[in-house]
Amino acid sequence: MQSIDVLVDAAREFLHQTAAFLPRLLLALVVVVGGWLLAKAVRFAVERALRAVNFNVLTERAGTDHFLRQAGSRGDTTTLFGVVAFWLVILAALIIAFNGLGLTYITDLLLRVVLFTPKLLIAMLIVVFGSYCARFVGNAVQAYCVDAQIPDADMLGRIVRYVIMTFVVMIALSQVEVGGDIVQRTFLIILAGIMLALALAFGLGGKNWAAAMLQRWWPQRNRDEEL
Amino acid sequence: MNDVQVTAPDTAPITGVSADDALWYKDAVIYQVNVKSFFDSNDDGIGDFKGLTSKLEYIRDLGVNTIWLMPFYPSPLKDDGYDIADYQNVHPQFGTLDDFRTMLREAHRLGLKVVTELIINHTSDQHPWFQAARHALPGSPERDFYVWSDTDQKYVGTRIIFTDTETSNWTWDPVAKQYYWHRFFSHQPDLNFDNPQVMKAVLQIMRFWLDMGVDGFRLDAIPYLVEREGTNNENLRETHAVIKELRAAIDASYENRFLLAEANQWPVDVREYFGEGDECHMAYHFPLMPRIYMAIAQEDRYPIIEIMQQTPDIPENCQWAIFLRNHDELTLEMVTSKERDYMYTTYAADLQARINLGIRRRLAPLMENDLDRIKLMNSLLLSMPGSPILYYGDEIGMGDNFFIGDRNGVRTPMQWSPDRNAGFSRADPQRLYLPPIMDAVYGYQSTNVEAQSRDPSSLLSWTKRMLAVRKTSQAFGRGARRFLKPGNRKILAYLREVGEDTILCVANLSRSAQPVELNLASFKGRVPVEMLGRTAFPPIGELPYLLTISAYGFYWFRLATDAAGPAWHEQIVSVEERPVLVLFDGWSSLFRERVVPWRIGIAEKTRTQFEIDTLPRYIESQRWYAAKGKTIERARITESVLWQEGKLSWLLALVELDGSEERASYFMPLALAWEERDEERVRNLSTSAVAKVRQQAEVGVMGDAFADELFCRAVVAAMAARREITMSQGRLQFRPTAAFSEIAGADFASLPVERPRGSSSNTVVNMPERLMLKGYRRLRVGMNPELEMGLYLTEVVHYANCARLAGVLEYIANDGQTRLLAMLQAYVPNQGDGWTYSLEYVRRHLEQYRTTPASDALPVNAHEAYLTMMRVLAGRTAELHRALARPTADAAFLPQPIGGADIDAYRQRALDEARKALDLLAASLESIPAADRERANAVLAQRDQITARIEACAKVEPQGLKIRIHGDYHLGQVLVTRNDFVIIDFEGEPGHSLEQRRAKQSPLRDVAGMMRSFAYVQQSALRSVAHNETEAARLAPLARAWELEVRTAFLSAYDAAARESGAGQSGAGQPVLYESLQPGQGLLGMFELEKALYELRYELGNRPSWVGIPLQGILDWGS
Repeated sequence: MQSIDVLVDAAREFLHQTAAFLPRLLLALVVVVGGWLLAKAVRFAVERALRAVNFNVLTERAGTDHFLRQAGSRGDTTTLFGVVAFWLVILAALIIAFNGLGLTYITDLLLRVVLFTPKLLIAMLIVVFGSYCARFVGNAVQAYCVDAQIPDADMLGRIVRYVIMTFVVMIALSQVEVGGDIVQRTFLIILAGIMLALALAFGLGGKNWAAAMLQRWWPQRNRDEEL
Repeated sequence: MNDVQVTAPDTAPITGVSADDALWYKDAVIYQVNVKSFFDSNDDGIGDFKGLTSKLEYIRDLGVNTIWLMPFYPSPLKDDGYDIADYQNVHPQFGTLDDFRTMLREAHRLGLKVVTELIINHTSDQHPWFQAARHALPGSPERDFYVWSDTDQKYVGTRIIFTDTETSNWTWDPVAKQYYWHRFFSHQPDLNFDNPQVMKAVLQIMRFWLDMGVDGFRLDAIPYLVEREGTNNENLRETHAVIKELRAAIDASYENRFLLAEANQWPVDVREYFGEGDECHMAYHFPLMPRIYMAIAQEDRYPIIEIMQQTPDIPENCQWAIFLRNHDELTLEMVTSKERDYMYTTYAADLQARINLGIRRRLAPLMENDLDRIKLMNSLLLSMPGSPILYYGDEIGMGDNFFIGDRNGVRTPMQWSPDRNAGFSRADPQRLYLPPIMDAVYGYQSTNVEAQSRDPSSLLSWTKRMLAVRKTSQAFGRGARRFLKPGNRKILAYLREVGEDTILCVANLSRSAQPVELNLASFKGRVPVEMLGRTAFPPIGELPYLLTISAYGFYWFRLATDAAGPAWHEQIVSVEERPVLVLFDGWSSLFRERVVPWRIGIAEKTRTQFEIDTLPRYIESQRWYAAKGKTIERARITESVLWQEGKLSWLLALVELDGSEERASYFMPLALAWEERDEERVRNLSTSAVAKVRQQAEVGVMGDAFADELFCRAVVAAMAARREITMSQGRLQFRPTAAFSEIAGADFASLPVERPRGSSSNTVVNMPERLMLKGYRRLRVGMNPELEMGLYLTEVVHYANCARLAGVLEYIANDGQTRLLAMLQAYVPNQGDGWTYSLEYVRRHLEQYRTTPASDALPVNAHEAYLTMMRVLAGRTAELHRALARPTADAAFLPQPIGGADIDAYRQRALDEARKALDLLAASLESIPAADRERANAVLAQRDQITARIEACAKVEPQGLKIRIHGDYHLGQVLVTRNDFVIIDFEGEPGHSLEQRRAKQSPLRDVAGMMRSFAYVQQSALRSVAHNETEAARLAPLARAWELEVRTAFLSAYDAAARESGAGQSGAGQPVLYESLQPGQGLLGMFELEKALYELRYELGNRPSWVGIPLQGILDWGS
């Protein structure tokens, strides 16, 4: 009898808990579905708003659209922003849903993802504006060099553009806290390498020029006298 | 005189002398006649009034409107009649007073004014007054009719005029026992105007002739009327008082009469003879004449400009009289002694030719019979400020004979014909008052009126033409004079301006061709129309106007505001004059959705500027802009795409215009080129620049892409490649026809591209000898008949005599509606269109007969060569109709029999047209030129008859076919090509909708259109050749005869060609194209009348000055 009671109690408890859980689950499902709908609406609104202010033109000029297309994406950067906004809302809905279900671990996990998303958005904006700026400055340098009849204007423009892009990527990465020290160190190593290469190139290839310059600024006689 | 309209370049009305105009003398051209020398009617060897009367028509036909008769009064003739013995009679050798009256009446009937001599300074010593005076007591009124003195030392400061013959101004009279005063010959005693009786007698003489009808007097030797001690007895105040009294007497009793002062003085002194407009109406400008000779001798304009600058302004109602030669010597009193020596050396190397202070020679010998110089001199005479006087005989280049004595060498008989005595008299040669000129060059055998009348290129014919041209503008007689000062001093250039009427006269004074650059910036935009040939020159622009003039050549230009420039001339607006558009991002700068976010505001502003200021101003200046004169408020880009080909890009835009008559849609392809990168494209685009553009440090041009060679080639290449370009509301479809490869060849990408030519609705770009790209501007929804016909004629029936179609560019909207944007056709090498060909032909024909005597008959078959061409045209027309009448499965081209309902519809359409046209005519009567009003009233009066005629024409058996036709068929739609014709432009009548244009019609509509075109040619040629009503009346029968011949030739050739295949009139079982080709009857008659009514409506709405042509057509149709 007792064993039956135990069983019955357990079943009752199970049913009781189930009865208590089901509304929460239902609510969670409602939240998720509502969140999904809201996410779609947000994605649409974000995309429209960004296109209304010609953000797509900016991303196209910045080259990020091209980059994305080369990477196999069918959408452009503006679409990507929409997607991020979409997932932000979805994640928020999931947090609420899981929280309602009492799944705190998952909630914490999702919360960390959600908190990361704004950083991602900012990093994306940094990349977009930074790329545009890199292109703009690169083109300006190129145009100036062409006007000033400096040889290899194209190359100089490109160098400037890539240098700026490197910094932009570094800033974006630091924004999303990816890589940390490793990236910074790697960057410094590469930068030092480039400077060394340049110094060597100049020292070997331009020593005559350097000598001539030294002679001009600080004539040999004076130096001999000093010596 | 009525207005006479001219062809397209020139539509100025003729404003000739009005007989009732009080200022008629300002527009007068005076012909100086010596009765004695003109024509002898009674074979006594001396010319007379009857002779003059018989030659008045010659004078009228010459184009002058006033005759100045040298003295004809009874006289001992010691000074060629200037020594009058009886003021109120006619010298018996010239006839009687009645003969004079008859001559005067006849002259007035012919519209000629008559001016006589009033010689009141002196009389003959045979005059009864003088005879009475010398016998009267000193101090008596009779004696005081003249100026007497006991001594010849009175008035010692007075110069002697005839230094060759007189030693003193005083002559002793043994009867009166006193000296009498005379400024001229001793047999010409001066009247004493201090005696009131003299003034009274003079006024009586004046009234005698004025009452008879004489229109004015030449006051001979007017400065010498009064004498005062201590003066030089010239131009005295008292003399002016006498003239004022004469003038007051005329003004008090007579209208439209005038006084011409002969005062051989400097202009400043002569100015006094105008008073304040209360002395003489006219006065001779003596110094100008020798200066004209001097200028040509020195090949320098300075002598003329200098004397004209010394010429003071004269009262509004006064006028200068100017001349090149007259009955006296070419007087050199008004030049310095050095200049006189120069003139003598140049013009009178033979000392015999010199007399007094002048040269006794006529114009032609002075110019060494060089026609160019004679013409130049006359052109200067006729265009200088003043009323010109032509000396009889100078119009045929008569010579002189200075061995005869005195100045009689220039007073020899008029040379009428190569007959005995030059046709002047049938008297025995020895009885002639003077022998006629008989030398080899100027002799009457070679130089005479009869010969020159028959020669269209003779001096006489030329003079007639010049005088006719002079009458076309009042600026010559009344205009202000302004000299231009071009760098080349051998060129004399001046403007004659009255109101808006401005004449530019340019003369080359040198013996070699000369270039000249004229600063005409203040007339920018005006079109110089050369007045003799009525040829329009390119419009005046910003730059100095460059002309080249042949040796001793000259131009008279009307600087017209209402004439179009030459058709071949493309007005290139300097790119500097175009507005500046500041771009920041190339084409994207115009589109807010294509710029980075922070530049949206600037893009919107740039777009607004482009649509409101830049593009409308460009479109308004284009020939293809339909609503000419209407300001465009905004040219809104409704659809556009950036077409990129490699590194190049063009903006293909469809533009909707706000503010013009209706909301019209236009195709506007645009190209952008930058100076530093694309110099050649910038140069090309500059000719059709929409705007000057700037982007940061770069400058460039935005222009019509049809001016961009690369664009044109890209269009052809896109057609070949069947390209499609997607746009926001539709797509652009380029496609070739089956004949593309054959027409364009394989190397079309390397064909040269010419500059675009704008026409009334499209832009045409030739790729010489191969292709013609026609860009449509005003867009219409639906199937364009030209495209449809082009495809059918090229691909289905293979009609050879049309421009074959090679490709098409269409805009196909998402809703399926199509708009034709461009067509590629085979280039047709040609010699111009049929209109120009025919117009020039008829003009040449009329020009040839302009001055020939009316009695000269036209040679038989005079037009045969031209008619042969028209028969070819008729044949081609019939072939076209036969091709379009072929059975076909294509419903749009399937011929259908004309039924009763069709005839009813034709009748109704013609009646509607009649109602609309006549209503409009009645409402617009006030706005049409006065000359056409009479015809307009006649047409309005025939309203019922017109309706009845349409009804009568519609009573035909429904017979024949209705087929697709050309629809707007006239001479302008056919190109002359190697003695053949190519039919072009199948767009149809622009005033109709596309559906109406595509409707099937009787082919007789095309035939009727061509008939009307012949009528237009006839009338236009007549208007352009005839300078006045008389000429128009003379030439009209010739022009009408031509039209009749060409109509007959065309209709019979068309009929024959249409019948060849049985497509003409009904035969056994053959298809019938038309029922009857009877002119003025049946459908042809009705269509022709309807076309004339349509033209009337069109001209009333667009070119009121042309309205006379359709009006005449409607009236002629009735007859």
